[in-house]
Amino acid sequence: MTAILIADDDPDIRDLIAFKLEQAGYDVIAVDNGLAALSAARETPPDLAVLDVMMPGMSGIDVCRELRGNAPTATLPIILLTARAQEGDVEVGFGAGADDYVVKPFSPRELVSRVEAVLARTRA
Amino acid sequence: MAGLATAVLLVLAGAALALGAVIVLGRAVRRTREARQARLAAPGRRVLLSLAAGDDEPENQQTLVRLEPAAWRAIEPTAVALLGKVRGESHAALVSVFEQRGMGERALDDVRGRGAMRRARAAEVLGNLGRRDAVPLLVSLLGDRDPDVRAVAARALGRIADPAAAAALLDSLAGRRPIPPQVVADAVMRMGAGTLEALTAALDHDAELVRATSVEVLGLIGAITAAARVIDTLDTDPSPEVRERAAAALGRLGTRSALAPLLAAVAPENPPGLRARAAHALGDLGAVAAAPALDALLADPQHEVAHATAHALLRLGPAGREVLEQAVATGPDPSPGRHAAARTDGLSVAAERAARYAWEALAVAEVDERRRDGAPARSEQPTAVGR
Repeated sequence: MTAILIADDDPDIRDLIAFKLEQAGYDVIAVDNGLAALSAARETPPDLAVLDVMMPGMSGIDVCRELRGNAPTATLPIILLTARAQEGDVEVGFGAGADDYVVKPFSPRELVSRVEAVLARTRA
Repeated sequence: MAGLATAVLLVLAGAALALGAVIVLGRAVRRTREARQARLAAPGRRVLLSLAAGDDEPENQQTLVRLEPAAWRAIEPTAVALLGKVRGESHAALVSVFEQRGMGERALDDVRGRGAMRRARAAEVLGNLGRRDAVPLLVSLLGDRDPDVRAVAARALGRIADPAAAAALLDSLAGRRPIPPQVVADAVMRMGAGTLEALTAALDHDAELVRATSVEVLGLIGAITAAARVIDTLDTDPSPEVRERAAAALGRLGTRSALAPLLAAVAPENPPGLRARAAHALGDLGAVAAAPALDALLADPQHEVAHATAHALLRLGPAGREVLEQAVATGPDPSPGRHAAARTDGLSVAAERAARYAWEALAVAEVDERRRDGAPARSEQPTAVGR
């Protein structure tokens, strides 16, 4: 089964995304901070990661950069999730190596569609 | 005396024991309450997540509408939080549940309530429900005595996104009970292009902070039709801070008409802060015609100006990069550890200064390129450029 890693310090968002993705048939690993996300991804690389940008300690963008800088996770598909949607932030996110960017408030259905699209694109 | 000391010790020991018992009991009560809340919340929470996830099951809405008050109270904080974090069908479904449970009407009452927490929660709910009829009440909360209530009210107005509230939000920056400028700016930005009139009118406000925030937001919302007013603000505002933000806004707007005013703004007679912002904005503009003016600024004695200039040149593309490489090539070798013998004539000092800033910018660009290309981690020490 396809495994998705979710990292978000907001428990409501984390639970919501996990619920939706599990409903869509994915295995979900949910963590509440960037360091835990990095550790989980390195230990058992998932098929895709959804990372909140604004997390205490290590941000989603920093996690993205670290994953991209390591051979085993360099090609891991990553979607960033953030409440900030100014042009500079989007640039920074893509510059860090993210494959897609979702702005809060978000549509859970749309997030699943984006997950599917990114997976299809990276597997092609 | 010994007896007194013993008595005091016994009293203190008794007090410590009592305090410990209170703490332990308090924790036990809290844990019991939390466990009870979790049990009450469990069935409703799953339905709530299902609804918020966009499931089409009609009975989900009705299940939540019919939840007993205690069960609803157990999941209400999660429901209110999710209401503000989802959009589309998910949001519409949650709004329907809230309205059917009468929470919108209750919030309209509570927003006039005595407790600050109650007013703040009510404002949050009204904002997340998108209740336009609540705008006048929320505007009145911008002057609330509690700073958290004021901030929540501002955010709620941003969520409702009625441009009619923009003027009041901007005015609140100058009030006796201010709201953090970023909160106001974010709220006004959410209201979009409908705020243009309020924003341009605010460029003439007496308060510097109102003018500064307004011109910044004009840049952030891409109000190209306001470019002339922003240029006017850059040229004539009495506040250096407002002029700096106007320069930044022009860079974001990206209109051709901004080139000449920005080139004028980097002139030596202007304050360093303005010159640096204007240099940065010229980089945002991406106008190759700005390259010669920026070349002259690379050796500026003010660090912030020279630094901004070097990075602006990078953003000009090949033309800007050429200027940087030329500065590195014609100056003394600026690589770390290699110090050319100091000379006393001004030309060499300027050339060395320009070379250092150019080298630093090119080095940063090289590191960024390697990261983007997914190069394996290695020493961040860049290779010498232009040699």
